[in-house]
Amino acid sequence: MTDTQWPRYMVLHQERDDRPHPHAGTVHAPDAEMALLNARDVFVRRPDCVSLWVVRADLIFTRTQEELTLHPDWLESIQPRGDTAETYYVFAKLTQKGQFSHVGEVEAENLPHALKVALQKYPDTRGLAWWVFPVKTVLKSTPDDITAMFAPAAVKDFRDQANFHALSVLRKLMRKQEAE
Amino acid sequence: MYGATVDPIEDIRTDEEKLAEFEARIARGEKIEPGDWMPDEYRRQLIRMISQHAHSEVVGMLPEGAFITRAPNLRRKLILLAKVQDEAGHGQYLYHAAETLGATREEMLEALLSGKAKYSSIFNYPTLSWADMGAIGWLVDGAAILNQTMLAKCSYGPYARAMVRICAEENFHRRQGQDIVITLALGTPEQKGMMQDSINRWWWPTLMMFGPHDTDSPNSAVLIRWGIKTKTNDELRQTFVDQTVPELLALGLTIPDPELRYDEASGHWHFGEINWDEFWNVVKGNGPCNAERMAARRQAHEDGLWVREAMAAYAEKHQS
Repeated sequence: MTDTQWPRYMVLHQERDDRPHPHAGTVHAPDAEMALLNARDVFVRRPDCVSLWVVRADLIFTRTQEELTLHPDWLESIQPRGDTAETYYVFAKLTQKGQFSHVGEVEAENLPHALKVALQKYPDTRGLAWWVFPVKTVLKSTPDDITAMFAPAAVKDFRDQANFHALSVLRKLMRKQEAE
Repeated sequence: MYGATVDPIEDIRTDEEKLAEFEARIARGEKIEPGDWMPDEYRRQLIRMISQHAHSEVVGMLPEGAFITRAPNLRRKLILLAKVQDEAGHGQYLYHAAETLGATREEMLEALLSGKAKYSSIFNYPTLSWADMGAIGWLVDGAAILNQTMLAKCSYGPYARAMVRICAEENFHRRQGQDIVITLALGTPEQKGMMQDSINRWWWPTLMMFGPHDTDSPNSAVLIRWGIKTKTNDELRQTFVDQTVPELLALGLTIPDPELRYDEASGHWHFGEINWDEFWNVVKGNGPCNAERMAARRQAHEDGLWVREAMAAYAEKHQS
């Protein structure tokens, strides 16, 4: 299987200022800037977005709860080596039906170490699966982008099914027929 | 397949233990995520289903795309344009879900363009009038929603989440279709005639969308066992008929099935036998528009080449 396609970028999508950035999906793009534009086209056709982040999928380190439970020795084998630390984002899937969502940040030396630190820092977070990736690898939209990237969707109210009254018309017709 | 691979953990369980735990998790209603152990057949069936579903969204843009320039007014045009954009997005959500199982987007696109991949047979029928935009939205998207609502509960996390997102948007597609059908059915005699002609052409191909009878559907048993599907083709088809027939009849439209009647005893609408020869003929590539759809898809891919080249050149310039 040859893989000459553009890299995959994970898209994280914030609906409101006071909410975290849950995972929306992925796009392919030749660079992060284009990934952000593609992410807007694919995931923001409706006005429920104030911020988008993209990060290369191959920079995300992931472990599921199943993997961690089956192999407790793997986590124990991860030890700090005294390397330079940097900041990592921590994401977790918290419910069976849910998306991965932002949990917080940790300082760590590398990806597995970041996961270990995250599990210690957030002991009450019962993640079914975890992601960690360096903060510096994320490209984010800025508040200045809102007007151009997200605001236009707000006037396209016809994308909302609530603006069609087909159902009430049909119900009325069916009631009328039953009455006859 | 999400991302960085750092010293993979070796799974020391036997295959029997893994399968037993996998099936127990599904029985408990848990979602299987990328990275979790899954049987090869589960992975294979999901890649087959999700990629076919993605291709259907992509090819599904073509029959309606032909009417964007022929919409009767600006509002209808904006709505149709928005709907076709949604289909493009749905294709992307689904290719992403299949990628989490190890399929690459490149090989899936290649399978579609080479004609190797299958997509929903419904899109190989022609769109002949504006009324078809109504029939597609109501019947075709209505049928798709039943299938997708079921799949939103499926055992594979990324597929289920793509479906939740898609279902929310598909409801807009169905509503705008109903809106067109209602407007035409309650309009002038010519408009109503146009709508009836459209229903006559789309009714049977829509019923075929649910796929072969359960007895002729080789994959059904394993898909249900592993929580990918929770209802059979025939169950979904019956739900669609029960839901749609009274609404169409209330609009004064008729349904092209002489055997159609309400069965008091079962509480279901009885309908006639589907022409399976026609179904298999379309699936095998001999439908009215198979060649046209594939030609249009390949043309679109070739026409987009300069855009892909420009994006790659831009990225390269900014890296150096």
